[in-house]
Amino acid sequence: MTTTRRRFVQGSLAAGALTAAPARLRAQTTPAVSRTIRAVLHGDLRVFDPVWTTANMTSYHAAMVYDTLFGVDDKFEPKPQMVSKYSLSDDRKVYNFELRDGLRFSDGSQVTARDCVASIRRWAARDGGGQHMLARLADTPVKDDKSFQLVMKEPYSLAVEWLAKAATNVCYIMREKEAQTDPMQQIQTIIGSGPFTFNQDAVVQGQRYVYDRNAAYVPRSEPAVFTSGGKVVNVDRVVFENIADEATAIAAIRAGEIDMIEYPNVDLLSSLEGEKEIKLEVLNKQGQLGWGRVNWLHPPFNNVKARQAMLHLIHPTEVMKATFGDEKYFKGCSSLFGMGTPMENDANIGWFKGGQNIEKAKQLVKESGYDGRPVVVLHATNIAYMNNAANLIAQWMRQAGFNVSLQASDWGAVITRRAVKSPPDQGGWNVFFTSGSVNAFGNPVALSGHAANGEKGWFGWPTDEKHEAFRDKWAAASSDAERRQIARDMQQNAWDFVPHMYYGQWFQPAALRNLTGLIGMPELIPFWNVKKG
Amino acid sequence: MLSYIAHRLASTILVMTLVGIFVFLLLHFSAGDPAAIIAGDYATPQQIVAIRQRLGLDDPLLVQFWRWALRVIKGDLGVSIFSNTPVGVLIIQRLEPTLSLALLTMLFAVSIAVSLGVIAAWRVGSLVDRALMGFSVLGFSMPAFVVGYSLIYIFAIELRWLPVQGYRSLADGVGPWILHLILPTVTLGLAYIALIARMTRASMLEVLEEDYIRTAKAKGVTTRTMLMKHALKNAGVPIVTVIGIGVALLIGGVVITETVFNIPGIGRLVVDAISKRDYPIIQGVILLFSGIYVLVNLLVDLSYSLIDPRIRYR
Repeated sequence: MTTTRRRFVQGSLAAGALTAAPARLRAQTTPAVSRTIRAVLHGDLRVFDPVWTTANMTSYHAAMVYDTLFGVDDKFEPKPQMVSKYSLSDDRKVYNFELRDGLRFSDGSQVTARDCVASIRRWAARDGGGQHMLARLADTPVKDDKSFQLVMKEPYSLAVEWLAKAATNVCYIMREKEAQTDPMQQIQTIIGSGPFTFNQDAVVQGQRYVYDRNAAYVPRSEPAVFTSGGKVVNVDRVVFENIADEATAIAAIRAGEIDMIEYPNVDLLSSLEGEKEIKLEVLNKQGQLGWGRVNWLHPPFNNVKARQAMLHLIHPTEVMKATFGDEKYFKGCSSLFGMGTPMENDANIGWFKGGQNIEKAKQLVKESGYDGRPVVVLHATNIAYMNNAANLIAQWMRQAGFNVSLQASDWGAVITRRAVKSPPDQGGWNVFFTSGSVNAFGNPVALSGHAANGEKGWFGWPTDEKHEAFRDKWAAASSDAERRQIARDMQQNAWDFVPHMYYGQWFQPAALRNLTGLIGMPELIPFWNVKKG
Repeated sequence: MLSYIAHRLASTILVMTLVGIFVFLLLHFSAGDPAAIIAGDYATPQQIVAIRQRLGLDDPLLVQFWRWALRVIKGDLGVSIFSNTPVGVLIIQRLEPTLSLALLTMLFAVSIAVSLGVIAAWRVGSLVDRALMGFSVLGFSMPAFVVGYSLIYIFAIELRWLPVQGYRSLADGVGPWILHLILPTVTLGLAYIALIARMTRASMLEVLEEDYIRTAKAKGVTTRTMLMKHALKNAGVPIVTVIGIGVALLIGGVVITETVFNIPGIGRLVVDAISKRDYPIIQGVILLFSGIYVLVNLLVDLSYSLIDPRIRYR
């Protein structure tokens, strides 16, 4: 048979119709663009288990799909979310919880107290605050389908705070079946009782993750404030788009292909000026805190004078300017607990008020008996603010008399090397820079970096018994006022022994295109309450 | 011929084995620990150690290599450390965008480049020749991301003719598929066009000096027949060789182009995996790329005998 031109055209049309058909079928189930939010968040979603990792992207995913027993309001006070009633016994040893009506998983099954207990136990095995609670937990009796207890071995006031916190790991409630998975293994099924359901069929791994409104979700009646109140969903679909290239993301929001960029590149913000439909808004008003950790196990930072020198030589404004340019997006941080947190205070901040003082730093380095050995500074070059911090601070360290060896690599290599306890000339290190959510710094017990328990603690391994005693005291305190006073004492002591140092606090704006009602809070972008158009 | 193919296929296996060993050792001796990345920034050293043990990353290197090699022999590339998804599945999910981009680029670049090369050789020394060669130099020297961003600015932001980013599957219809691939194809194809056009021109110039071309002209054959039938066919071997070698260029370019245009292909898969030290994905993709490269060059070698029947394989 010979192929005629007519036959070729007929064949081509038939092939075109065949390939186009599935698109038409799919169009019937795809929500309208006006009812879909496409958001570029700060990274790719690789892990779907919020217990298995502390990655914030995973927590964003989990907040869509799962619900929590408690949320927090804008004062970070716990408020019931899945719970309707709760109480703590007078001896502060027994917590009673009762679930509210209408809670269902997206597979249609009822949320029970057994699901909650299993979820709490799995979460507590991995989370810092959870572990603190678990060490004091005697039992978790289930009273009936809707009621359970946490029975503590000793008086304990922090359980509800841990269950409510928005900083990772968050205690999301899963079905008992998934919650019984070994906490060191990832769950395989994603079924929650949250305001959205995860649409696995529409997911393109590495590019987009799709969440559809959970029609069966019953929100609370109170207004939505942070993670507390009614999680009312106003759109049909939310898509997490992963656009790795920052310039492409900016181009995409200008062209109207996406509705939001969580952290647009600050250098490219000027290209959004004049775009009437796009506004820049700082969502995380507490911001992010840049900190440097010094290694207490080896000279020179096993000497307090050398650590104090670091406090005097850092100029936060210069570090922040190098990355964020506009001063409205950053400030310095003098409080151990970050600026703007409930525990912020001004105890012992003379070093900050005095500003950068290289001469003072020089004197302290001399007093420390520093012998001129190379000081290894780990330098992550692939993250702009870390790159700038390392370059600038290394230069100030040189001016203060340190013989700095700046060792460049990507962040992946830094987080491996920072775990090495050997001396710096044998693969170890002296200084590295990282950052964290200010919200996390506000809690001296939950943040592992606040511990000063030596080699059992976080990288840098500071040791200070007095500091540890303050942390225990803070955990046992029965009122906020008492905690604030302990935090003040803790800071007074900390800026003497210098567990670590801060190089600035910043507030990166999000770019929003025709979105209103987005709840600005630390650690999370909630997609309930948001309206498009 | 058959024994030649069998011999080349056997050498492909050898090459891929060496690539496998090299990649495995390179990754495991380079800095970076997936367990530390998985655990997150606030994880304690104890938690990282527990994850490392769970993933088997604490086992001796030889044990890890043997475990991986046994799986690969059985056709199992392992499971992504992060997403817990089989690497084979991830590669298959990403294959369509990458294949679409690579094949379309190849088609686009070869058809444009050969035509330009033939015209330049035909009009050697003329303004057309100089313009075409100038374009080739520019095409080869401009980085893909510069070309990509420029095209995005003009055609997606200013003119709004084409989408900025993303990929639509062929199953969503030919229209959306091709619309999303025009800018990436042009971006990726430019360097390839430059390379092939220059080679075509050089090869054609050599052939056009041959006696049989003069004879053909003397016999009065048309310019078109002389160029396309007599000259181009005889100039084909070096052109096909360069197309084959250019596959490496294409593979490298795919990685950048997929990032700039946010195409969820294999290039982006491997870039993301490198930043996260997701060893099974990196190993699997590099094995795949090396296999493709070796096989494409085998096909190129075999095509020589079709282009020039004087070439025989034993």
